[in-house]
Amino acid sequence: MKLSCIIVEDIQIAADFLRKFCEKSDLVEVKGHFLNVVDALDFLDREKVDLLFLDVEMPGATGFDLLDSLTYSPKIILTTSKTEYAFDAFQYHVDDYLKKPFTYKRFQEAIEKLQQKVAAAASAPAAPQPAIAAADTDFLFIKAEDKLIKLKKDDILFLESMRDYVKFVTQGKNYVTYSTLKNMEEKLVGPNFLKVHRSYIVNITKIDDIRGNTIYLLGNQIPIGKGHKDEVAARLNIL
Amino acid sequence: MVKRAANKKIAATMENFRTGFVFHESLNASFLAELFDGDTSYAETVFEDFLRDLPVYWDRVEAAYDNKNLPVLGTSVHTCKTLFGYVGFTDLQDLCQQFENKCSVSTVEELRLDYIRLIQRKERAQNIIEKEYDRLRKFNESNG
Repeated sequence: MKLSCIIVEDIQIAADFLRKFCEKSDLVEVKGHFLNVVDALDFLDREKVDLLFLDVEMPGATGFDLLDSLTYSPKIILTTSKTEYAFDAFQYHVDDYLKKPFTYKRFQEAIEKLQQKVAAAASAPAAPQPAIAAADTDFLFIKAEDKLIKLKKDDILFLESMRDYVKFVTQGKNYVTYSTLKNMEEKLVGPNFLKVHRSYIVNITKIDDIRGNTIYLLGNQIPIGKGHKDEVAARLNIL
Repeated sequence: MVKRAANKKIAATMENFRTGFVFHESLNASFLAELFDGDTSYAETVFEDFLRDLPVYWDRVEAAYDNKNLPVLGTSVHTCKTLFGYVGFTDLQDLCQQFENKCSVSTVEELRLDYIRLIQRKERAQNIIEKEYDRLRKFNESNG
């Protein structure tokens, strides 16, 4: 089955190559090409696609700004001519990284790898396991390590989204459960937990300090997403 | 690694033999052979687009340098770097990367000699691509 995609790229030559490769592969259908993040987000508000080919450096907002603003989780292939973004790509859990200019062979490898991921996810259990908890208790249960684990909410430092999984980082140990961050957000209602980035929810009682756009808590550094800055400032009473 | 480079050169020569078109020696022929896969019509289109787009992006480089705006200078050179890569100037792409890196740690005065060198290389590249585009056009016309 073909993947639907959009291309977010301000250099026409690069976008034309990508479109040509998509057509040649017959595995990807290009629904649109956008020169900047704002136009791409306008489109994505109206129509969801399976995959984004996303440049990083563009006029106005960057590709990472777009990722911060997404309200769903398509597959992401970053296209850039800078290798320095590889670490950021990892942080944002992108699916692949293509260094421009890339050949059709490299493009094909990325798409085939993506298709395998999609096929594997399709054959996995259909529904993510929800955490079993009442919102007004001081604990919750998560399914991890083939058992239900009781976590005290006060022990949780932060949660990190890892595509179809969520990592719970506690003072003692880390746990990974098959679920979504959105699901956890619904379970962790209350004054102590705050979503600060598309990929992170933090326990605000554990914050040591905030420097610039980074939250520091017990040796961990959590980025504040651009789309979450105002809410973070309001919740933490930052003057 | 030497053997791999030699194999790539052989592959490029064979590709040139297959299509009959030999790219200028300054260009990364093995990379272009892989990128265009023998499609000289598409190569002609890309070279045409390069000649159309480079002046527009280079104007931004010059404006940023004249205004001493180093962040914009870096991102403008970054854009041109990508264009050079798509027409086979992979060494010029590397030079642009070095210049781009220096934009974040140098002053405009410190960049002056590098900037002059970059302009010279860019003009040489543009000149070569103009000729290559012309040759490609004639090659494609004569090969129907």
